[in-house]
Amino acid sequence: MAEPLSQPRVLIVDDDPEIRNGLADVFARAGFAPLVAGDVPAMERTLEKEAVDLIVLDLMMPGEDGLSACKRLSGARRAPIIMLSALGDDADRIVGLEIGADDYLAKPCNPRELVARARAVLRRAKDKGEDAPSGDSVRFAGFRLDVARRELHDPDGVVIPLSAGEFRLLRAFVEHPRRVLSREQLLDYAFANDSEIFDRAVDVQVSRLRRKLERPGAPEIVRTVRGEGYMFDVKPT
Amino acid sequence: MIARAGLPIAAYLATLVALALAAAFVAVVAIVLWLPPRPPDVMRADVVSDYFTAGYDHVTATGRTINDEMDWSIRRTAPGEKGVPRAVMSTQHQLAGRLRLHPDQVRITAAKITRSDVMVFRVRDAEAEAHARHAEIAAREAAREAEREMQQAAREAAREMREVAREARERRREAERNLRDAQRENDLGAIEIHREAIRAAEEAAAEAAREAAEAMRSVEVRVIAPPAPTPPTPGAAATPPEPPEPPEAPLFAPAPVGVLLISGFEIAAQLPDGRWLVMQQGRNWAEIGWIWRTVFIIAAALAVVSLISLLIARRLTRPIRNFSEAVQAVGVNPQNEPVREEGPAELRGAARAVNTMQARLRALIADRTKTLAAVAHDMRTPLMRLRLQAEHVAPEQREKMAREIEEVEALVASFIAFARDDPAEEARVRLDLAALLQSVADDHCEAGRDVAYAGEERVIITGQSLGLKRVFTNLVDNALKYGQRARVALRREEGAVIVDVEDDGPGIPAAQRETVFEPFVRLNEAGTRGAGLGLAAARSIARAHGGDIAILDAEKGAKLRVTLPG
Repeated sequence: MAEPLSQPRVLIVDDDPEIRNGLADVFARAGFAPLVAGDVPAMERTLEKEAVDLIVLDLMMPGEDGLSACKRLSGARRAPIIMLSALGDDADRIVGLEIGADDYLAKPCNPRELVARARAVLRRAKDKGEDAPSGDSVRFAGFRLDVARRELHDPDGVVIPLSAGEFRLLRAFVEHPRRVLSREQLLDYAFANDSEIFDRAVDVQVSRLRRKLERPGAPEIVRTVRGEGYMFDVKPT
Repeated sequence: MIARAGLPIAAYLATLVALALAAAFVAVVAIVLWLPPRPPDVMRADVVSDYFTAGYDHVTATGRTINDEMDWSIRRTAPGEKGVPRAVMSTQHQLAGRLRLHPDQVRITAAKITRSDVMVFRVRDAEAEAHARHAEIAAREAAREAEREMQQAAREAAREMREVAREARERRREAERNLRDAQRENDLGAIEIHREAIRAAEEAAAEAAREAAEAMRSVEVRVIAPPAPTPPTPGAAATPPEPPEPPEAPLFAPAPVGVLLISGFEIAAQLPDGRWLVMQQGRNWAEIGWIWRTVFIIAAALAVVSLISLLIARRLTRPIRNFSEAVQAVGVNPQNEPVREEGPAELRGAARAVNTMQARLRALIADRTKTLAAVAHDMRTPLMRLRLQAEHVAPEQREKMAREIEEVEALVASFIAFARDDPAEEARVRLDLAALLQSVADDHCEAGRDVAYAGEERVIITGQSLGLKRVFTNLVDNALKYGQRARVALRREEGAVIVDVEDDGPGIPAAQRETVFEPFVRLNEAGTRGAGLGLAAARSIARAHGGDIAILDAEKGAKLRVTLPG
């Protein structure tokens, strides 16, 4: 796992002081430089003064809630946002991701998972390929990947549900198109939070994903580069 | 605003009725104004006699029947019975006298005979027609007379010329005789004289014959040529015609008392050749035209009224149809657009009521969503705090605490999911059910649990992707709760897809196979986690898709079968 450069600055926005400070503690121990804010105005004041690498935003707060703040923030060039919410339903998650959050975790979460996700988001924000498409919908070779819903739409418009692993893998491929990705890199991008995943597991996931992407007569989308890894061989838009 | 008010349905119906009445009125007025007056169906016997006399003269003069509003026919035998009603006997005698016939040669029958003390229709017309007819007959009579005289004269002339020719032949014979005598006597001078006489006589005879032929030809030409039309005013050819009498006679007038009125009559008289001329008050062409026009007016009125009724009915029913569709849409999803308030007043009232109801429903749903969010927030915030505090304790205790917290969280999550459960909200899409089951199994495998999927590669159905994912996640979670591993199998049958979820747990006793689908019912009260809502939610979603979930017999463990329409 590549160690981040200096201490990334993370802004934790939550109305509950105990959670706010507890999370700050967790992030500080994980090597982040945490900042805290109790509500949206406080968050904005901090953002004006400080450069922030990541925002952990609580959804339900008195005054302006996290959703509308996120909507407002996502217009400009801004730090990535992880939404932390007491609403953990799939539908809530989709709304959060569609509105522009980079990740979404339901409370109560494992603090270490939150840190791992924060790292993943930071890494994605940093080395997102120059060709990488933005937005919550990515198209390639007739397919459409709905990032918020974690769903793949095939050329016939049929929804092909993806497992969490397949989705992360596909997103890693889509964000690094036409580049050979080693198994280690894929592990890094797609399975950052799970140390139990081995190279062999990457192969299994890739073959499953391939099965969902393959269509008779169409060229292969995910290619094996012998001895090196895999390459996503179409240009997403 | 007036346009928006809308009329009550009763007003539409009243309009329709008024329209029908108006159409009927217009039809009646049109019939009265536009139709010609109906021809008389009762006639004065003396006028009828005039008709007959004129017709009789026409037949005797031309050999053809007259063409008027009566039915004329010529028959070989006397029509009808011999007896004549007493009431018309005098008419019979009068008519016989006018036709110069014996009374037995005239027959009169009538369906109805009355003595006049009733109104006679169209007195003026009838009398004027009788006058005109008389005039015409007189004119024709005069023309015939003139022709007869002319023929007479021609015949006279021809006869004279034939006389002259005979005399000339006489003279020629005499001259021949004299010539023969002279030849015998050899008197040359006399021969020459006699030859001259013969030639003169021949010429005279030829001349006379030519003139006789000429006279005959002129008569023939006259007979062949049609009679010149005579002016309607008879007699007074030289004097300027007197203007017809001004219409001082009223259109309707009482008949002179004592005059016979007859209807449905038939008059017959024997013609000079022995056949019978019959006149009947027959079918009346004017009357048939009357019937056609009446039918046309009524049909036109009917057509107009039905067309307008159709328009009104459409105007009336379209908002009702729209209303029922809109109400159905609101019933399916209260977030749909409110019902448009249009159409008749009653419907607008109903639409307003539905909209009020919908607004309250929406407020209730919003309230519920808000309440659920508040409950979720209030329950999960302390859990999150606990989870953060757990970071400060020793690792082995931390794991234990984390498990406990996860368990409580699972309960909270199932409560909230069940309470907010609204299968209608999510859109239906075409999705690959095989990929969905595979992804559910993969997610569990990734988390280190033993879940396997077997079955077809690609099975496309229509449904809610989140909803169906929840159904199978719940079933697999349930299987793993009671057993160590879960097996998911998918196959397609006719019109349906079937998914079996099996575990290796203790199985579900037959007696409990229905109750486990009820909310808050758990199979084994002691030692099991969860609120007992997973199966209830799964079944409600499956049923919203038109499918169902049932528990089947299995050799070992539990076997749950989800059937979905394919």
